[in-house]
Amino acid sequence: MITGILVLVLRILLAVALYAFLGWALWVLWRELNLHLQQVSREQVPPIVLEVVSEQESEERRYQFNEREVLLGRHPSCQIVLNDETVSTRHARLRYRDHQWWVEDLHSTNGTFLNDERVMTPTVVVSGDIVRCGQALLRIQIQSQE
Amino acid sequence: MKRFLGAHSLPNTIKESRLLYLAAAFLFFYALILTLAPAVRVHSFETTLNWQHWVGVGVWAVGVVWVRRTLQVWLGEHDPYFLPVAALLSGWGLLTIWRLDTVLGWRQTFWLGLGWLILGLGARWPEVLLWLRRYKYLWLVLGLLLVALTLFFGTYPGGEGPGLWLGCCGLYFQPAEPLKILLLIYLAAYLAERIPFSLSLASLIAPTLVVIGVTIALLVIQRDLGTASLLFMLYALVLYLATGRRRVLLLTAGGLLLAAWIGNTMFILIHQRLLAWWQPWSQADGVGYQIIQSLIAIAEGGLFGTGPGLGSPGLVPVAHSDFITVAIAEETGLVGLGGLLGLVGVLFLRSMIVAIRAPNLYRRLLAAGLGIYLGGQSVLIIGGNLRLFPLTGVTLPFVSYGGSSLVVSFAALLLLLRMSASEETPPVSLANEAPFQVLGGGFLAVLALLAGLGGWWGIVRSEALRSRPDNLRWVVAERFVQRGRLLDRQEQVLVQSEGRPGSYRRVTLYPPLASTLGFIHPRFGKAGLEAGLDSYLRGLAGQPAWEILLARLLFAQPPQGLDVRLTLSLDIQRVADAAMEGEQGALILLNAQNGEILAMASQPTFDPNRLDEAWEEWKTDPHSPLLNRVTQGQYPPGTALTPFLWATQSMPTEQWGHFPQSLVLQTAGGRLPCANVPSLPITWESAAQAGCPWVTVALAQNLGKERLEALWPALGFGTLVNLPLPMGGIAVPPPEASLETLLTGESTWYLSPLQMAQAIAILQQGQRPDIHLVNAIRVPVQGWVVLSVDPPAEVEIAGRTPDRLADWARGDLPIWMAFGRGQNGQKTVLWVLAGTVPDWQGSPLVLVLALESGTAEQGEQIARAVLQAALR
Repeated sequence: MITGILVLVLRILLAVALYAFLGWALWVLWRELNLHLQQVSREQVPPIVLEVVSEQESEERRYQFNEREVLLGRHPSCQIVLNDETVSTRHARLRYRDHQWWVEDLHSTNGTFLNDERVMTPTVVVSGDIVRCGQALLRIQIQSQE
Repeated sequence: MKRFLGAHSLPNTIKESRLLYLAAAFLFFYALILTLAPAVRVHSFETTLNWQHWVGVGVWAVGVVWVRRTLQVWLGEHDPYFLPVAALLSGWGLLTIWRLDTVLGWRQTFWLGLGWLILGLGARWPEVLLWLRRYKYLWLVLGLLLVALTLFFGTYPGGEGPGLWLGCCGLYFQPAEPLKILLLIYLAAYLAERIPFSLSLASLIAPTLVVIGVTIALLVIQRDLGTASLLFMLYALVLYLATGRRRVLLLTAGGLLLAAWIGNTMFILIHQRLLAWWQPWSQADGVGYQIIQSLIAIAEGGLFGTGPGLGSPGLVPVAHSDFITVAIAEETGLVGLGGLLGLVGVLFLRSMIVAIRAPNLYRRLLAAGLGIYLGGQSVLIIGGNLRLFPLTGVTLPFVSYGGSSLVVSFAALLLLLRMSASEETPPVSLANEAPFQVLGGGFLAVLALLAGLGGWWGIVRSEALRSRPDNLRWVVAERFVQRGRLLDRQEQVLVQSEGRPGSYRRVTLYPPLASTLGFIHPRFGKAGLEAGLDSYLRGLAGQPAWEILLARLLFAQPPQGLDVRLTLSLDIQRVADAAMEGEQGALILLNAQNGEILAMASQPTFDPNRLDEAWEEWKTDPHSPLLNRVTQGQYPPGTALTPFLWATQSMPTEQWGHFPQSLVLQTAGGRLPCANVPSLPITWESAAQAGCPWVTVALAQNLGKERLEALWPALGFGTLVNLPLPMGGIAVPPPEASLETLLTGESTWYLSPLQMAQAIAILQQGQRPDIHLVNAIRVPVQGWVVLSVDPPAEVEIAGRTPDRLADWARGDLPIWMAFGRGQNGQKTVLWVLAGTVPDWQGSPLVLVLALESGTAEQGEQIARAVLQAALR
C-alpha cells in the first residue's frame, strides 16, 4: 500500500510540475502580450542623463539622450566616448526596453559594474545608480515621463 | 506569489531559468517514479529498483546547464521559451524511451548529448543564418542527393523494412529528416528574394513546384509517404504565408485529396493505411491492429494514467517511435496528453512570434516554416495515434526515439533561437496578417480537437476499449496480482496461483477436471470456468467499487482475486474420473432438487499445466480433448427419450396392446438394436428400460402427436441452462419429425448430457431446478458469500407419474436406471440415465452418462460407481 501511495504523491507532483510549467509559460506570455500592447499605445522613452565622473578627466561631462539605445566605449562611433585604457572599444550598452532602462555588458575586457556589482546579464538601472566601465564612472539619472 | 508572478519586470534569463527549474522538477519526479515503479508493481520495496535511466537524466541536466550558459553568453536576448520547452519534451521522451527499452534508452541518451552539443556549439556561430541563405541551392541539392543515395544504399536498422536510412557500424541516420530543414531554408531564401519582384503566383511558384515535385517523387519512390505528405504541407503553408493567397490552401487541400485517391487505388501501402484509419474495427488482427492497440492504450490511461513505468505501453507496436504519444497517454493519462499538446502549442506560437518580429522576409519565412515543421509534424503523428488522421509514420519532434529526428529537431531549435536573439532592427512590415491569424487559429483549433479526441477515447469509449479481447493487459495483471482459487464444495483446492508477485503461475491441482475448470494462459487465452468466472477470480466483481478503483489508481492493477467455491465434490469427481478413464464421453451428476452439479466428467480431456508443450496436439486431436462434452457435447437422444414417454403414460400397461416378438426396429436405414440386453422375462418394463426402439415408438404412439409436442419444451429441451461455461446449441425437435426419424438420426436433434440431466430432474421432481456450479465467493472481511439460487420452477407435465421410474429400481441401491441408444449415421452413443427412487429420503440425485464407446455393461458400472460414491 505504502509504495502505491508514495508513487501516487509523486505522480501528483509530476502533474503539478507539468502544469506549473505550462501555466507559468502562458501567464508570462499573456503578460508580455499586454505589455506589448501598452508599449505600442504609448511609445515614449524617458530621457536618460549620464554624468561621467572619471578621476582621470578634469571636467565633468554631462549627456542627455532621447534615443532608445546608448553605446559606451572608446570607439568614436559610441554615443559616449570614454578615453580610458581600461575601457573596451565597445564596452557597454544602455537600452530602453519594457519600460525600463537596462545596462548590458558587451563582452568587455574589464567588465561593467553596476553599483560595484558585475553586470552579467542585462540589468535594470534607476536614477542614482553608478555604472563603472573599467575605471570610468558614470552616474545615471532618468528623467520622469510627463 | 505576486513577486513570483510579476512577469513584466522579469528579464528573459529569469523566465528561462524558472521554466527550466520546473522542467527539471518534472523530470526528477518522472525518473523517481520510474525508479520506484517495480516496487509498486509488487507492492513491496523488496525488489530490484530501476536506476539506469538516471544516466539519461544526468546527461540531460549537464546539457541543459551548459547550453543555457552558452546561450546567455552568445545569444543574450534570445526567446526564453524555446530552450525550456525543448528540454522538457526531449527529457520526457528520453525517459519514456528508457522505460520502454533500456537499449534504446542508452542510444537516445547519446543522441540527446549530440543534440545539446549541436545547440551549444551552433550558438557560437552568428553567421549561420546568412551562410545558410547564401548557399541555398547547395543545401537543397545536398539534401536531395542524400535521399537519392538511400535508393541505392538504403538500409533499415531493425532488419527487414523500408530502406530509408544511411549508415554503417551501428549508427544510422535518415536523410529525409535534414531534408525537411534544408528544403525550408531553400524555400525561405528563394521566396524572400523573389516576392518583392514578381506578383504573379504562377511565375513565383513554378521553379519551387519543380523542386518540390522532384523531392516528393523521390520520397514516394522510397515509400516514405509520411515525409512526402509532410513536405507537401510545409511547402503549401510557407507559400501561403509568403503570398497570403487563400487559393494556395484550397489547391493544397484539393491536391492532398487527389493524392490520397490516386494513392488509394495505386499503392497497396496507402490503401492499407487508409483502410486501417477508416475502418480499423473490422480488421482488428490485420491492418487495424496497430491503431486499435494504440486506442486501447489511451483507454487504459484514462484521465490520470497508470503512472510512469506502471502501464503496458510496450504492447503497442513501435511504441518508442511512431506511437510514443500513446505510451505517454497510457502512463500519464489525459493530464499528460494535455500537457504535451500544450507544450507543442507554446513551441508553435513562439515560432510564429519570432516570425512576426523578424527583421527580414527570409527570417520571417524560415522561422514560420520551422514552427510549422515542428508543430505540424507533432500534430500529424499525435493525430495519427488518436485516429484523427491516417498514420503517417513520422516522428514526434524532440520526443520520439531516433537520432536523425532528435538532432534535426535541435538544429531547428538552434535556428529559431538564433533568429529570436536579434531584435535590434525593427521587424519588417507585415503586408497581410491574415495568414498568420489563420494558421495560428487553425493550429490551436487542431490542438483542441486532439485534446477532445483524447477525452473521447480515454474516457467515453474507455470501458468498451479496455474490455476488448485483444487487450492483452490481463496477462501482465495475472503475473503481478494473485488470482482467486477454485475450490470444491469441501474447500479442497482445484486451481490456484503459485509464486510471488511478478511471477505468479496458474497451477491446476486436479487436472482430470480440466474440461470444466478450463485454463488461463498468456498465449492461448482463457477457457472454461477460468473464463466464465474471470471477473470474480480477477477480483473485478464481488468487491466494493472503491476497492477496484483504489487498486487501479494506486497500482494500475486489478485488486486481489476472490476465491470461488464450486458445488462440485472432489471425492465424487475422483470416482467419476477414475471410472471414465480411457472411455470417450461425458458424465454429470446433479442434485435434482436444488440444482447443484456434484460431478461432471468429460473424456478425453487435457492438462492445463502442459498447455505449452501439447497445445497443438490437443487442438488438432480428432477426439477434441479441449471440448467440454457435458455442456457442449451434441449427442442424438435416440431411445434415451424412453423414460420421458414411460413416466408420462396415463393408461395402465394392460391396455397398451400387443407385445411384439421382435424388439428391434426395422427401418429403411437398417436395424436399430436395443441399447442394452433386456432382462428376462421380457416385459414392457424391461424392454423400455433396455432402450429398445420398438417400445419407444409404441409409447410415443400411445401418447399421440399433440402430447409429444407439448412434452419436449416442458422438459426444458429448448431452454438454455445458465452456467459460466461454453454451451452447445439448444433445440427442440423439428415439428415435422416423426419419432422414427429421430431414432434413426435422419432428423437431426442433438442434446447435451447437461440438458438430458435437466430433463430427468424435471421429470423426477416436477420442477425445474436452477442448475448451478458456483456455490460461494470469498470476499475480504465478510468471508464466504453464498450466491443466490432461484427456487425450483413448477413444471406442468400431463400424465407425469414419476413412480413408474421405480419400475426400473436396482435392488441393492435406492436408484433406478435406464439405457438409451442414439444414432446418427455411423456414430452411435450409449446413454445411461439414472436417479434416486421416488421414496428416497435423502437429496434426490440425477445421473446422465453419454458414452461414445463401450458397452451398456461398462456404462452401468460407471454409473453405479458414481452413484454409490454419492450416496455414501
